[in-house]
Amino acid sequence: MWSRRVIGIAAACAALCGSGGVEAAAWRDGAHVYEKVCRYCHEAGVGPVIRGRNLPVEYVQRVVRFGNRAMPAFRPSEIDDASLADVARLISSGTPLAKE
Amino acid sequence: MKEQRKVLPKGIGAADFDKAVRELRAIVGDEYVLIDDEKLAPYRKIMMPVPDEQHALSASVMPDGVEEIQRVMKVANKYRIPVYPVSTGKNLGYGSAAPVQRGQIVMDLRRMNRIIEVDAELCTALVEPGVTYQQLYDYLQEHKLPLWFSCPAPSAIAGPVGNMVDRGVGYTPYGEHFLFSCGMEVVLADGQVLRTGMGAMENSNTWQVFKWGYGPTLDGIFTQSNFGVVTKMGMWLMPAPPDFRPFCIQYPNETDITKIVEALRPLRIAMVIPNAVVIAHTLWEAPCKPVKRADYVTGPGAISDEAVKKIQADHDIGAWNVYAGLYGTKETNDANWKIIEAVAAGTGGKIITQEASKGSKALEYRFDLMKGKPNLGEFGLYNWRGGGGSIWFAPVSQAKGSETLKQMRMAKTILAKYGFDYVGEFIVGWRDMHHVIDLLYDRSNPEQMEKAYACYDELLHTFAKEGYGMYRANTAFAEKVAATYGPVKRDVEKRLKKALDPNNIIAPGRCGISL
Ligand SMILES: Cc1cc2nc3c(=O)[nH]c(=O)nc-3n(C[C@H](O)[C@H](O)[C@H](O)COP(=O)(O)OP(=O)(O)OC[C@H]3O[C@@H](n4cnc5c(N)ncnc54)[C@H](O)[C@@H]3O)c2cc1C
Repeated sequence: MWSRRVIGIAAACAALCGSGGVEAAAWRDGAHVYEKVCRYCHEAGVGPVIRGRNLPVEYVQRVVRFGNRAMPAFRPSEIDDASLADVARLISSGTPLAKE
Repeated sequence: MKEQRKVLPKGIGAADFDKAVRELRAIVGDEYVLIDDEKLAPYRKIMMPVPDEQHALSASVMPDGVEEIQRVMKVANKYRIPVYPVSTGKNLGYGSAAPVQRGQIVMDLRRMNRIIEVDAELCTALVEPGVTYQQLYDYLQEHKLPLWFSCPAPSAIAGPVGNMVDRGVGYTPYGEHFLFSCGMEVVLADGQVLRTGMGAMENSNTWQVFKWGYGPTLDGIFTQSNFGVVTKMGMWLMPAPPDFRPFCIQYPNETDITKIVEALRPLRIAMVIPNAVVIAHTLWEAPCKPVKRADYVTGPGAISDEAVKKIQADHDIGAWNVYAGLYGTKETNDANWKIIEAVAAGTGGKIITQEASKGSKALEYRFDLMKGKPNLGEFGLYNWRGGGGSIWFAPVSQAKGSETLKQMRMAKTILAKYGFDYVGEFIVGWRDMHHVIDLLYDRSNPEQMEKAYACYDELLHTFAKEGYGMYRANTAFAEKVAATYGPVKRDVEKRLKKALDPNNIIAPGRCGISL
């Protein structure tokens, strides 16, 4: 059963994983950043809750770029300025954000 | 945070630097070369007990693609400007994304984040340096591929190439990551592109399946070194087992480490337990529960043994907490489970199954890591002391009970001398154990900074005297750690450096290698 399952997906993948033309990944929007990065600490009791606290957008952006104590800093190559601005806006406004 | 003086590479004048920056911009585009202090801030954040200035970069360049990297190398050679490559740049507690020496240009490869190929039949992947484990995880989920990988604890934000070239570790049966890599593409200092193993052949389709190729196997020299920039890496993926049974076994006494290691080693070597076992001390578990240090310690100094005992009792944590898993079919796991139960009963351990673990953050993040599911649960560690200071002290030990107990006692004594707590675990463990200790301190407190530096220094040299070497080290101590491995090895490394990078432009000083 184990091997049959793997053979099935192999066929599917041959089509998907053709050579060349592979696109670099990019964030869809701020909510995507929140779901894949922020929430792992800020919704898990590791870092403080940040949503819905009216934290100023500029403050959120600054903490992300500079880090804060044990919070790692994030480079523009990791979270581009536009996605950061968007996630900061969402956090600040307390918009419900997708969880896993 | 504010810097008045512009940082320049050692021995480079401002005019030459400006020229080099202009040439780099022409290669990668203006927005992908940063020199502004404010913009460089994320690269400057470190957790090591040395001033930020010591590891301040002069610029960041973010190439996208092998050809751009080749051209960046040309500029670096022309001006003799050192570049320090990072992949995902999350080497937290080992140097983060800051260069090993002040003034180096960070070559940030995070934009190169293509998952080039996943072969579901052969269970292999070929990835670029900027790919994160989270991205790879999502890719496998989206494409409904029942394949697992092994990842380190900061998996959501770190990636396989950076972790593997620093010889990092994870928690599945593929936990010794370099062992499960297969084939690299490397841009050398002179701009040549080397593919290791079978990748060196035109039209080869065995690059990701056979490591060795013909003649000397070169992959190893591109790990923990500065002989090239790794631009692609093959890695092996594991078929998701039909039945996965993670478990924890808790032990009540610190000295139990002896019988734990004696009991587990045969199971691990025989691969009854196939994954990278973790044996975590109380104080590694406590902050992830979470437990607050301030509730148990007042005043300066290390936490007392009595307080540690109290934490164990109050929060149902073992003195040692063993994490491992069974990976197989229901039938094989049922059979092996009996062995695990017998071993736990025979050694006085209490088993916690996945069902019983529900609601415990400390256990849940570990169980997720054992199946390669990204999270950041371990960052709870930093709530123990606060202040964001961390350096990993990580000596290698034999997988023998007496050795692990000896190392634990040595480390605890030295840490206590400087007022720090023993926050340690033993991991991987096939025939060895990586003894990983998080030296946690408050980086905003100058006295603790100084003590943390001195403490690491004493740990390093005391362990070296006993013949115990580091498996990996932070950039601030690279030179000192390299020195513990003796002159001949260093001489060979230097000769290799001279042959491959005569202008000393790739990360001079990394792992103590420089001309
Ligand atoms: C809470 C916590 C838990 C941790 N747990 C683990 C763990 O379980 N296992 C573990 O291994 N680590 C662990 N770490 C340490 C570290 O965060 C990880 O190892 C992480 O994967 C390394 O960062 P990275 O993958 O982004 O690599 P990078 O920072 O990109 O690279 C690591 C180093 O390798 C070199 N390098 C990177 N890319 C290249 C390249 N393409 N070519 C040449 N040289 C290159 C650079 O010198 C760089 O500094 C932990 C850290 C924290 C804070």
